[in-house]
Amino acid sequence: MNLIPPAVPYFSHRLRLAFSGWHPQRMHALVQRAGDPAGAVRMIEAGRVKSRPAARQAISVSAEQRLTELQTAGVGVVLLGAEGYPPWLAAIPDPPDLLFVKGQLPPEAGVAVVGSRRATRYGVNLARAMGAAMGRSGLTVISGLARGIDGAAHQGVVEAGGCGIAVLGSGPDRWYPVAHRSLGEALLERGGAVVTEYPPGTVPEPWRFPIRNRIITGMSRVVLVVEAAIGGGALISARLGLEQGREVLAVPGDIDRATSRGCNELIRDGAMPVLGTSELLDYLEMEGILPPAGAPGTDQPSEQPDRKRSDLEVAIGESGVTVETLLERMGWPLPRLLVSIGELESEGRVVREGGMVRLKG
Amino acid sequence: MFSAAMVGVEPRPVNVEVHLGRTNSKFGLVGLPDTAVREARYRVKAAMASSGYDMPRSEVTVNLAPADLPKAGSSFDLPIALGVLIADGKASTRHPGVVAVGELALDGRVRRSRSVLAAALVAARRGIPCLAPREAMSEAALVPDVELYPVEKLSDAIEVLSGDIQPAVPPSDRVPVFSSQDLAEVRGQEFARRGMEIAAAGRHHLLMSGPPGMGKTMLAKRLPGILPPLTRSEEMELALVWAAGDRRRPASGRPFRAPHHTASLVGLLGGGSGIPVPGDLSLAHHGVLFLDELGEFPSHLVDALRQPLEEGSVTITRRGISTTFPGRPLVVAATNPCPCGWRNDTVKRCRCSPASVDRYRRRLSGPLLDRFDVRVFLGRMETEELTGAPGESSAVVRSRVEKARGMQMERGAPNGDLSTSHLDKLPWSANAKKVLALNLDQGLLTGRGYDRVRRVSRTLADLEGSASVQKMHVLEALAYRAGF
Repeated sequence: MNLIPPAVPYFSHRLRLAFSGWHPQRMHALVQRAGDPAGAVRMIEAGRVKSRPAARQAISVSAEQRLTELQTAGVGVVLLGAEGYPPWLAAIPDPPDLLFVKGQLPPEAGVAVVGSRRATRYGVNLARAMGAAMGRSGLTVISGLARGIDGAAHQGVVEAGGCGIAVLGSGPDRWYPVAHRSLGEALLERGGAVVTEYPPGTVPEPWRFPIRNRIITGMSRVVLVVEAAIGGGALISARLGLEQGREVLAVPGDIDRATSRGCNELIRDGAMPVLGTSELLDYLEMEGILPPAGAPGTDQPSEQPDRKRSDLEVAIGESGVTVETLLERMGWPLPRLLVSIGELESEGRVVREGGMVRLKG
Repeated sequence: MFSAAMVGVEPRPVNVEVHLGRTNSKFGLVGLPDTAVREARYRVKAAMASSGYDMPRSEVTVNLAPADLPKAGSSFDLPIALGVLIADGKASTRHPGVVAVGELALDGRVRRSRSVLAAALVAARRGIPCLAPREAMSEAALVPDVELYPVEKLSDAIEVLSGDIQPAVPPSDRVPVFSSQDLAEVRGQEFARRGMEIAAAGRHHLLMSGPPGMGKTMLAKRLPGILPPLTRSEEMELALVWAAGDRRRPASGRPFRAPHHTASLVGLLGGGSGIPVPGDLSLAHHGVLFLDELGEFPSHLVDALRQPLEEGSVTITRRGISTTFPGRPLVVAATNPCPCGWRNDTVKRCRCSPASVDRYRRRLSGPLLDRFDVRVFLGRMETEELTGAPGESSAVVRSRVEKARGMQMERGAPNGDLSTSHLDKLPWSANAKKVLALNLDQGLLTGRGYDRVRRVSRTLADLEGSASVQKMHVLEALAYRAGF
C-alpha cells in the first residue's frame, strides 16, 4: 500500500475534496477559481458555492481519518504530481487529481481494450483472444471491467495469467457489474490493479462512466477498439485516445452489422486495422511497446512452438462460424469437413458451442 | 353371424345372435350397445323394408356376444339385418360362419363404418368369409388370406350368403406411396440434411436448432419420405391403431403427426372419456412425430412422452380397463436457439439477455433431450445456395437409408435402440476406440453423450456399408452430439 506522505502540497485538502461526490470537471473548475485546493475547501465550507449538505459533510472529515479508513480497506492513494502516479496519465489534458488504487500499478503504460457492452460472440471471442495474447506477452491490458468487450479482454488476461488493470466508474469497493466481481478479484490476485478516481462508497451512476474512460486511454499507449456501434462509450474512448495522442487500432467487422459500424468507421477515418492477434503483437513490437521476443526483460516462457495452422483452422477463426459457413469457405464434402472438425476438437484445438465452431483461445 | 369390435388395437369377434319370440312386434337389442348401436333397430327396419323384406311379426331379440364387451358405432347394422333375415327364414347361408360389417342406409345401401379392419382380421383368423362395404374394401384388403365380398346393398349381402357370388380378388401388390414433398425442394442446409439421413437410417431421434424461417419444418415434413416403405406387418399395426381411433389414414406411407405445443395430454398420448382412443404418439407409430418449438411445450407434456418413447407403447387405464397402444415414432423436434431466435445469426441481431437464453436452454434440457441422438443446427443460407441446383431427391437418400437399415436389422435392432451393453459388443476399430477414449479423457463426452456418439457412429458405418466402426465415423459423429 503506497500511502502518500502528507508532504505533497495540499495533500489533506486534495484528499478531502476527492470525497465530495462531485463531477471531476466541476471540482477542477472550482479549484481553478479558488486558486488552490485549500481555497476550494474553504469556499464549499463557507457555502459560497452550491453544494449539498452531504457533500459539505463528506469533505469536512479529516484527511487523517480518511487515510485510516483507506488503509483498513486496503486502498492506496496516488496524487497527480507525486511519486507513483502513472506518467502517461499525468500528460493528458485533464488528468484526475487523485487515484484510488487497489493492487499494484505497473510502471509501464499498457494497451487499452475498449468496446461495446452489448457485444456479439465475434467481438467477445476476439477480445478474449487478444487480451490473452497480450497478457502472455507481458503487456498490461487496461479496460473498464464492463460487460461485453471489457470483461472479455480482462477474462483473456486472467486466463493467460497476465497483468490487467480495471478502471472503475464507482468506488474501489464496488464491483460493477456485480457479476464481474470474481473477475476483478482474479485480476488483483494475478498482480493487476483496480483504479478509480472515485472514493470508496461511490455507487456506479451512468454519468461517472464516460469521464472514467479518459483514465483508461490515459494509462495506455495504444487504444484497441474491438467492437463498437455508433454512439457507444467505446467511440468516446477512441476519441479521447486521439485527443490524448494515443494510437487507435480497430478490429474490422461485417459492414452490414450495426455492431461493427463504429470500428469500421474508425478504420475508414485512419485507425489502424487489426487483422489478428499475431498481427497485433507484431505491431506492438514494432512500435516498441512490446519488447522484442527473446529480448532480456521478457522472461515470459514462450508458448509451445506454434504449429502452423491448417487452412481449416484459419477458416474457423477465433470468433466462431457455423458449419454451413465453413462448407462454403472450404468447399469440402460435408462428411470430410465434419471429420476434420472432429479431429481438431479431439486434439483440443477447437470447441463447439451452440452450433458454432471456433478456435480455442 | 359374426361381426367384430375393437378393444384398443385388438380386434375381437362379436357373435350376433337373433331369437324370434312369440309376442308381437318388439325389437330388443342387448350386449352393452352404445346409442349408435341401439339405433341400429330403426336403420335395420327401414333398410329391410326398402329392400323388400318385412320385419318378422314376432318379438326380435338380438344379443351381441360377449355381452359384457362394450360395442360402439354403426358397424353391426349389416350383421343384425342378416341375422334377422336368416332367423326369419327369408335368407339362407351356405357358409357355416360369416363375418359381416357395415352401416345400413335407410334405402338399403351399405356404408363404410368402423371395425372393417377388425372384421377382416377376425374372418382371416377363423378362415371364414367376410362381407364388407365396397367403400371400405381398401381397408379390408390390408389383411392377407381372407375371402372378401364387397357389398353395396343389403340385397347383395343376401346373394353372397346364398353362394352365387365369387369373392373379390384383392389387389395383388401394394405400390408404396411416398410423400409428394421431396427433399430436392430444400436448398442448402447440408448439415441438417445429413442429420436427417442419419436419423432415418438409424432411427435416431433428431433435434434441429436454428433461427426461424431456415426450413426446420420443411425438412421435418420430408423425413417420412426418406424412411424405408412400411412393411406389411407395420402397415397392419398402424392400420389397427388408426382403426382404434375410428380414423382413416389420409394416405398410405409413413404417417407424419405434428401436435401443437398447446395439445392436451390426451391428444398427445391417447385416452378420452369413453372407449380410449390413441393420441398423436400412437397415430405416428412407425412414422414421424414432429414437435415444433420444443421449448414451448409445457414440461408435463414433454415428461409424459419420455417413458412411452422408451417402451414403444403407451398404456391408458380408464374405468379399470387398461388399453395399450403401440407408439414407436421417430421423433423430430425443432427449436429456436434462444427466445428471439436469432442467436448466432450472421445478419439479424439477437435481442435476448444472457439470462433469458440460459433459462430457455434450461427448459429444453432434461430427460427427453437425452433421447435425441442427432442434433443439428441450421444456419442462414447464402443467396447462391437458395438459387443453386436442387439437392438430392428423397428417393436417392432413401435408397441409402434402406441399405443401412437392412444391415441393422440383420444385427437385430435399429441403432437408435441400442443399449450400452449392445454398443460394447459391436466391432470397434482400435483407432475408433482411441478417439472415443481421448474425448472421454478430455471431458468432451459425458456418459450419456458417449453412448449417443457410439450409436450415431454405428449408423455412419452402416451408411458406408462398413462392418466395423472406424475412426472417421466417430469423428463425424462428434458433430451431432453438441448441445446448445
